[in-house]
Amino acid sequence: MPSRRTPPFRACALLLLSLTATFFAGCGNDPNLKPEHEKRADGSPWQVRYSYMPDDPRSLDPQFAYDQMSRRLLEPVVDTLLEYHPFKTDPYEVMPSLLASLPERVKNPDGTETYVCKLKRGILFHNDPCFPGGKGRELTVQDVEYGWKRMVDPKVECPALSALQDYLVGFGEAYETAKKADGLDYSKPLKCFEIVDDQTFKVHLLKPYPQIIYWMAMHFMSPVAHEAVEFYDGKEHPDANGKMVLRPAFKWHPVGTGAFQLVEYEPASRARLVRNPNYHTVVFPSDGYPPDRADFLKQFAGQPVPLVDEIQVTIFREQTPIPVLFNQGYLDSMGVSKDAFNRVVTTAQELTPEYKKRGVVLEKDPDVSTFFISLNMEDPVIGSNKKLRQALSCSYDGQSYVDIFWNGVSPVAQQLMPPGIFGYDKNYQNPYSYDLDKARKLLAEAGYPGGIDSKTGRQLELNMEASANGSEERQMTEFVQKGFEQLGIKVNVVENTFAELLRKEDAGKFQILEGTGWGADYPDPENFYMLLNSRNFPPEGKNVSRYKNPEFDKLFDKMATMDNSPERLQIVNQLRDMIGEDCPQIFTFHKAFFTTINPWARRTSTNMLLEGAFKYQQVDPAMRAQLQREWNRTPKWPPFVLVLLIAGAAGYAIRLNRKRNV
Amino acid sequence: MFSYLIRRLLYAIPILFGVMLITFLLFFVVQPPYARARAILGEKARPAQVQQWLHDHGYDKPTYLNTKPGQHLFDSLFVNQMKRLITFDFGVSDKTSLPIAKTFKDGVIPSLCLTLPAFVIGFIMAVTLSLYQVFIRYSALDRFGVFFCVALMSIPPMIYMFVGQRVLAMQLNYFPAYGFDLRGWQTAKFLLLPVTLMIVMYLGNDVRLYRTIFLEEITQDYVRTALAKGVPQSRVLFVHVLKNGMISLITLVVAHLPFLIMGSLLLENFFGIPGLGNALIHAIQTGDAAMTNALVYLGALFYLAGLMLTDICYAFADPRIRLS
Amino acid sequence: MIESLHHFFGNWITQDVLVVVFFAAVIGLLLRGSRNERWQRAWKFMKGDRLGLAAGVLIIGYLIIGGLDLLQISPTTTVFDWLANDVVGLHDEPTKASYSAPFSTHTFSTAKPEPLQFPGRHFLGTTQIGKDTFIQALKGSSTALLLGGLTSLIYLPLGILLGISAGYYRGWVDDAIQYIYSTIMAIPDILFLIAFIMVFGKGVGTMSWALALTSWISLCRLLRGETMRLTERQFISAARALGQSHWNIITRHLLPNVMHLVLINFVLGFSGVVLTEAILSYLGVGTPIGTASWGQMIDGARGELSREPVVWWNVSAATVALFGLVLSLNLFADSLRRAFDPKRS
Repeated sequence: MPSRRTPPFRACALLLLSLTATFFAGCGNDPNLKPEHEKRADGSPWQVRYSYMPDDPRSLDPQFAYDQMSRRLLEPVVDTLLEYHPFKTDPYEVMPSLLASLPERVKNPDGTETYVCKLKRGILFHNDPCFPGGKGRELTVQDVEYGWKRMVDPKVECPALSALQDYLVGFGEAYETAKKADGLDYSKPLKCFEIVDDQTFKVHLLKPYPQIIYWMAMHFMSPVAHEAVEFYDGKEHPDANGKMVLRPAFKWHPVGTGAFQLVEYEPASRARLVRNPNYHTVVFPSDGYPPDRADFLKQFAGQPVPLVDEIQVTIFREQTPIPVLFNQGYLDSMGVSKDAFNRVVTTAQELTPEYKKRGVVLEKDPDVSTFFISLNMEDPVIGSNKKLRQALSCSYDGQSYVDIFWNGVSPVAQQLMPPGIFGYDKNYQNPYSYDLDKARKLLAEAGYPGGIDSKTGRQLELNMEASANGSEERQMTEFVQKGFEQLGIKVNVVENTFAELLRKEDAGKFQILEGTGWGADYPDPENFYMLLNSRNFPPEGKNVSRYKNPEFDKLFDKMATMDNSPERLQIVNQLRDMIGEDCPQIFTFHKAFFTTINPWARRTSTNMLLEGAFKYQQVDPAMRAQLQREWNRTPKWPPFVLVLLIAGAAGYAIRLNRKRNV
Repeated sequence: MFSYLIRRLLYAIPILFGVMLITFLLFFVVQPPYARARAILGEKARPAQVQQWLHDHGYDKPTYLNTKPGQHLFDSLFVNQMKRLITFDFGVSDKTSLPIAKTFKDGVIPSLCLTLPAFVIGFIMAVTLSLYQVFIRYSALDRFGVFFCVALMSIPPMIYMFVGQRVLAMQLNYFPAYGFDLRGWQTAKFLLLPVTLMIVMYLGNDVRLYRTIFLEEITQDYVRTALAKGVPQSRVLFVHVLKNGMISLITLVVAHLPFLIMGSLLLENFFGIPGLGNALIHAIQTGDAAMTNALVYLGALFYLAGLMLTDICYAFADPRIRLS
Repeated sequence: MIESLHHFFGNWITQDVLVVVFFAAVIGLLLRGSRNERWQRAWKFMKGDRLGLAAGVLIIGYLIIGGLDLLQISPTTTVFDWLANDVVGLHDEPTKASYSAPFSTHTFSTAKPEPLQFPGRHFLGTTQIGKDTFIQALKGSSTALLLGGLTSLIYLPLGILLGISAGYYRGWVDDAIQYIYSTIMAIPDILFLIAFIMVFGKGVGTMSWALALTSWISLCRLLRGETMRLTERQFISAARALGQSHWNIITRHLLPNVMHLVLINFVLGFSGVVLTEAILSYLGVGTPIGTASWGQMIDGARGELSREPVVWWNVSAATVALFGLVLSLNLFADSLRRAFDPKRS
């Protein structure tokens, strides 16, 4: 009968369950990898920081990469000629990196300009198999020239080309010639790049362009070792044992002179940066400290960088685990996402008490960006009717939008330029900001009293293009839609994939485009107002609204290359007022970042134009280890309760079984 | 039997072609490569950059037939794609320009680490539980069991994932909430939670299905004979019925086996396991047609392999075919 | 032409008429089925099956609520809105408000809660833009109904036509249909759905087409098998011998005898559509902005569950509502299957 079979069966089942239970309970939840080494060469502990990115980089080729993720991994690996000072943000300042000093600006009598640049000596490339013996060689002026030549190489397709060809001598022509010849002849020199001696080179400009030094802080002008480009061709080659091994393409294996080397990159998984032992290009700055953290930063003054040895960057395509891992202490800092706001930040923009207790620090940084809703100036309904645009602008409740979706963090945008740019006036109020009565009046003046077309008697219907990803963005779009509809008009939200949206932008086939914005490439008004210059229609340029105003263009051209002065300020204000009146864009907000930082990873750099400033980051590993243990206690009782439950169920079932068989 | 199998194999070929046609229509005709290039290269890309990208990836060709002077008639998008898929030359991903074959090889192991244990353990559990239900058939507990299974099936899979992660990873801190690492014993730590969730997600459906199959076996004559001979109920069930029911079960289940390689779309995405399911979801969401095309094609291949396996099993089980 | 069609179908009055017609058609079909002897026997069985009955009642409840929300009395409000707002007195908060916990009087905020306009009246709290969660959860049934209805409208005729044709005509017709569905089956469902929706754009219409294209296959195979079995029986060959046309045989002899399978498949298909919509919304290809759907509420849980304290009411309400419908449909289908089973024990 059955009872003969069941005891051994029951016994081993219970045994198995208890084993599993103990295994569960002893597991632990640390998702990070073991670091490269335990100790440094001198015996002190190896320091690691744990960072993250929300998506993969698009390319790590310095002359091609333009998106934020790519810049984040490129910045520590490939040096630029100049770089932004990590602490000076008001105004932003560039300091020499690969260059020994800021370039000398020479104004030539024929209206052209020349910048004389001197490279530092003794800078070495990373140790990499592309060099003979695997050892990095010294950086030369020819390497800088090689990088510049890649900018005009049609096979690379540098995105900076269209902007720079207006200013660098012979730049555009070099590209055109190379395109016709189906390849760049690297043996021919560039007209704009003149080598003087093994340390000095001159850059020739067609006309004054003070913003060129900001371009020198970008990767497009970085030096590149030709050995790296030739070695990393993305093809299979025999290795030391003769086995065919695939070599990554150069765009996934950057070789530079930076403070870190990219030792590992797994798409969709992680990237790992390890200290470059030969780096001594810059040291930790000794000046420019913001007063509120000067005491903390003083201890690092003059020290060699990077301060830490390794950076592990996890790539999170899913946003939900990020706050989880941050709270468990497995991430050092976290950009506070919209979803996590209320947990972390109170409406008074302070840390919630629960976070304060842990010793977490809240950093508030304004991003140098503005978001806006684009109105199509070429659309027959919207483009010709200024009062309609003004009415729409007045019906948008910027403050409520920011309060609901950004917890009041991001400042409402009154104008195109964000805080931090020359000419930004925080007391300026947009003449067409939220005012419902004014909006209704303007709408009537526009010919649509109460939202009804006075000529046809039909309700005004407008289409708003959006590309919403996720429930949060969907609700934001709905908010904007409902705001406009308060006027009595009907707004249809058309959902687009990103590709469709781009297509409509390029063709100018839309009425209202929600969710557009612009982040500064460099801190200058020219970088923002160029968005409304009639020369910059899509697809070549970024004038999405297709705004065409000859007055504006004239003033813009005048202002673009002026040095900062009261005269320039006056023109900038004029441009601002013009846009305010014409309303080709409805300004929504300036992004502001709230970042929470765990107590062992206090922030050093505050400059948002730097992507992470990894080489200046520091960490206290002992504090981190201790707090991680504290924050991740594993209760031991649940598995045993589970085992008991299952045993109980099994017992009941067996008793039932006995009853059945009797 | 051999000719039967050969015929089934030949039948798979037009199906594969049909799959290639459908995916081509979806990814190259309805959404042309130009739009995809713009999306992938980002807002700041210039038209010349886009053209260069299209050329690098071989997408700057006419769609069906190439009537341009001086070029081969069959040098078109459609023919090129067909050729590549047939020769398993998948080329590079649209988004990352990394070779697709490499992504595939890298993704197989993580996917299998998730699906294989879930499949094996889930199968054993489902068979045990369903046999037990047959044992106590039509009792209150059995009826409750059926209801419970249907309830399990009616919960959206995301809820399992949310609750599982919250309770087990966040509140009890047993498992990492996210991530994956393939070196040594560490891997198990990252797998326990997703594997458990995957088992639970499919348990309801499987137990109900197997219960039906075993119930049908119970009605067969040989069971009545065995009981009449005095064989104890449990032995009849756990030995005879199991053996005979397994035949139907296995033929059902074997179809899924090759498909395990594709992993689980939802779980891999949620827990950050870099398997093929994750690659596929990401490929679709970023409009990476080359990758999606290749993965769907491979998926179809595995599915057809599964069907072939089923046919082989049927052939063994059914003497009519075996002996023909 | 497309424009005016769009206008015609976009008009809320037309939509109301269509909804009423649809419901009337379904009820009419069921009444016609009741004349069938097999159906009458099944109905007697189901009256005694308490679980199936309970499930059926719940389904009818969902149908009523969903139906009320599909009938519009003005371009912006439906019968359900009117009932909820004016009769029962439940309102959404103005868009300025944010999350609020069930029955609470203030918005959900750790430092500075704002007083609500309708304190204490939100049984299940509010969403991020102030909508009452209870109302949203109930409205989700109309989206489910709409989606399920449109999908069924497409896939049922398709499946019936192709399934019966394949089983009846056999030969090359059967081969062709088998080839078509084998090919589609080779592409995993979720993939096909995501790809289809991403390519053709989001919207209830596209979703319905996508779901229909993946759902018709199971019905087709089922009917093909059943038709084959039926055509081997004598009454069919008798009819042929009497000289009845193919069409007559199909409509008078085959169709009524497979309708019970169609019914069961329809009910199961409906539950599948509701679950799949949730998964698709989670993957980002769900219903468009402004539509209340359970899938969207569950998708929102991703962010809400990582808040502290947790915003649990939205996902719970959506899950319970969805679970209720899907479970009822599954149990009802089970009951149906047993009711129509000739070997009923």
